[in-house]
Amino acid sequence: VRGRRHRDGEGGAREGGVGVNQSLRRTRAIAHKEVLHIIRDARAVYMALGLPVVMLMLFGYGISQDVDHISMGVADEDRTPASRRLSEALAASGDFAREADLASADGAEAAFRSGRVRTVLVVPRGYGRDLARGLPAAAQLLVDGSDGATATIAMGDAAGIVKATSSARPARASLGQGPRVRARFNPAMRSAYNMVSGVIVLILAMVASLLASLTIAREWERGSMEQLFATPVGRLEIIVGKLIPYAGLGFVQTLLVITLGSYMFDVPIHGSLVTLFVSSTLFLLAMLGTGLTASIIAKSQLVAVQFAMLVSYMPVAMLSGFMFPIENMPWWLRGVSMAVPGRYYLTTLRGVLLKGNGLDVLARDVLALAVFAAALLALAVWRFRRRLA
Amino acid sequence: MALPQEARVKIVVIMQSLFNVMKKELSQTMRDRRMLSTLIISPVLQLVVFGYAIDLDVDRIPTVVCDQDGTPRSRDLIQAFFADRTFLRHEDVPDPCDAQNALESGNAAAAIIVPRGFALRVARADAPEVQVLVDGTDATRAQVAANAASQFLLVHGIGTETGVESAGTGASLAFRVMYNERLKTPVYMLPGVLATLLLNVTALVTAMGLARERETGTLEQVLVTPIRPSVLLAGKCLPYVLFGLIDILAILLLGNLIFDVPFRGSFLVIALGSFLYLFSTLGIGIFIAAFSSSQQQAMLGAFAFMLPAMLLSGFMSPISSMPPWLRPFTMLIPMRHYIEIMRGCLLKGAGIHDLAQQMIALTALGAGILGISVARFRKRLA
Repeated sequence: VRGRRHRDGEGGAREGGVGVNQSLRRTRAIAHKEVLHIIRDARAVYMALGLPVVMLMLFGYGISQDVDHISMGVADEDRTPASRRLSEALAASGDFAREADLASADGAEAAFRSGRVRTVLVVPRGYGRDLARGLPAAAQLLVDGSDGATATIAMGDAAGIVKATSSARPARASLGQGPRVRARFNPAMRSAYNMVSGVIVLILAMVASLLASLTIAREWERGSMEQLFATPVGRLEIIVGKLIPYAGLGFVQTLLVITLGSYMFDVPIHGSLVTLFVSSTLFLLAMLGTGLTASIIAKSQLVAVQFAMLVSYMPVAMLSGFMFPIENMPWWLRGVSMAVPGRYYLTTLRGVLLKGNGLDVLARDVLALAVFAAALLALAVWRFRRRLA
Repeated sequence: MALPQEARVKIVVIMQSLFNVMKKELSQTMRDRRMLSTLIISPVLQLVVFGYAIDLDVDRIPTVVCDQDGTPRSRDLIQAFFADRTFLRHEDVPDPCDAQNALESGNAAAAIIVPRGFALRVARADAPEVQVLVDGTDATRAQVAANAASQFLLVHGIGTETGVESAGTGASLAFRVMYNERLKTPVYMLPGVLATLLLNVTALVTAMGLARERETGTLEQVLVTPIRPSVLLAGKCLPYVLFGLIDILAILLLGNLIFDVPFRGSFLVIALGSFLYLFSTLGIGIFIAAFSSSQQQAMLGAFAFMLPAMLLSGFMSPISSMPPWLRPFTMLIPMRHYIEIMRGCLLKGAGIHDLAQQMIALTALGAGILGISVARFRKRLA
């Protein structure tokens, strides 16, 4: 037994049935130990399971990328029924919320600076008179451009509302009678649909890679790693044994988020569950591999977490296309995003949940995930061996 | 000096021990090169990468064209549709079904379909119609795309009941964009990125660092010495304020050089806001450490705070879009106030009067969190 310890982790597997059996037993022992470790720290388990729920609730009920209730200040210098109609039409649409009344356009600057309002409607004197005479009457909307996305949407909304209310035949031009633009797959353009898949990716990336990054570093820090080496357990057995419990935890989380998402936010599951299952497993393995590699290299928990965050969690949050569209990134960053497993997982999740795609459409992404999972786990095993020598 | 001799000696002793603890903490951090790069290099690196990533300006949306009409009039319309580069002509298909398929497979994110007889109806002013389909999977993008398309069609008088409207009469709205005239996203996002990175450097690192000392029992050992617990805590945390300030300087400098983030306000406002923010995040770090018995708990605890805080801070989604019951909670998040201070000061040149409310909120939060957590920490140690 002593001799085998110094060979490759797979050494046990090559020596026939008995070796495989023993190897499996040792792996199970490591996994058992890790499970005990997880369960003993009940508070950590609650947090690991509670965090996805909190995130989902916040994303689903609280956070909305739909821009409405844009704060608006009104500088009505005209003070006629017509000017009041205009400001009321903007507020009534729900796109704008009247937050402040300004005496004149001069107050706009101060209101912008303190952040009280994002837009200021300025209705100049003579607006009502011109409108009554059938002359062109122009009001001005000052827009705080700091937040470019909101500013663009605000201008679009305002243009539509003014167009609708100023129509020659107001009786026929109902607000709902807009142009023919329709969103597919997510007809109400609800953020929640997009969010649920994003939250799954984020949560799995976080819990899998960050928790895994602590496991081996913890053993180094406490000196129990040397004790582990004194036993006949091989490197592969240690890594697989440490991996299994966290993969299980990750699965529970995935199921939790998908179930809650579909119950609370009516997120549809159009596609095949098998594809979902396969891609989730592969993504989990890739994230665990990243975490374990970080853990092996860093040797201290604090540095391991930072390292795992830098290489797995942050890229998944920023470069997967969840929050920021990949198409807009410069070419070199688009290249980097190809190396982010979360990107492929997000595509499969969105495809399966919203579009009902099957393996035929998503084969490329699933394959990419498989490559990442294999490569990252191999990297962990390889680095681990080098450290031992 | 009005102070009696005894008190003066006491202060000197305290300052000396504070200085010693800081020196020890600093040299310990500096010795570990990995730690140092975590604290300084990695935030700067992240800023650069994510500054480029955070581009929400939606343009070049790949679009499928299905022109069933095939008249000069429809061709003109389609050409005009792509003129401002919001949409990018991806491919032409003969059948509307192909357009749908392109959306389904993700090859395109939008489709414009001009039905047969379009030119005829335009000529007769008989409510000409054009259909624009948008892939709604990504809601933000879809909303911007839909808005742009609506605006375009409105301008061209399509889809409204009246058809082509004569321009010049009736009300119109002129727009003027202020502060960020080119509507660049990185300019707006940088303060949020900065706040997030600082939260990591201060809150997560202190929480795990203190939890680690608890795990190994070194904190108790130091407490046997005459150093007071509060002095010990201050000495352990102040170096991270220093690292935080270095990060802020580096990030603001790079933000200005690479992403054209303006610096319109006063340096003093930024310094004051940053100090207040760093104290509150340190308070959070100590708070988390005080309630956790292992580094694992500290890490999860820090994330349990950081992730919701990031969402509620207005960093990525406007607070005004949140439901009314949730908005008061955002007041409790130091990040929210700091982001408002930085955005106001950097982009709009806001002074201390404009930002008084945020400064007061940040002070109150910082004092509150720091007070509670230090009290709790001392109790657990004693």
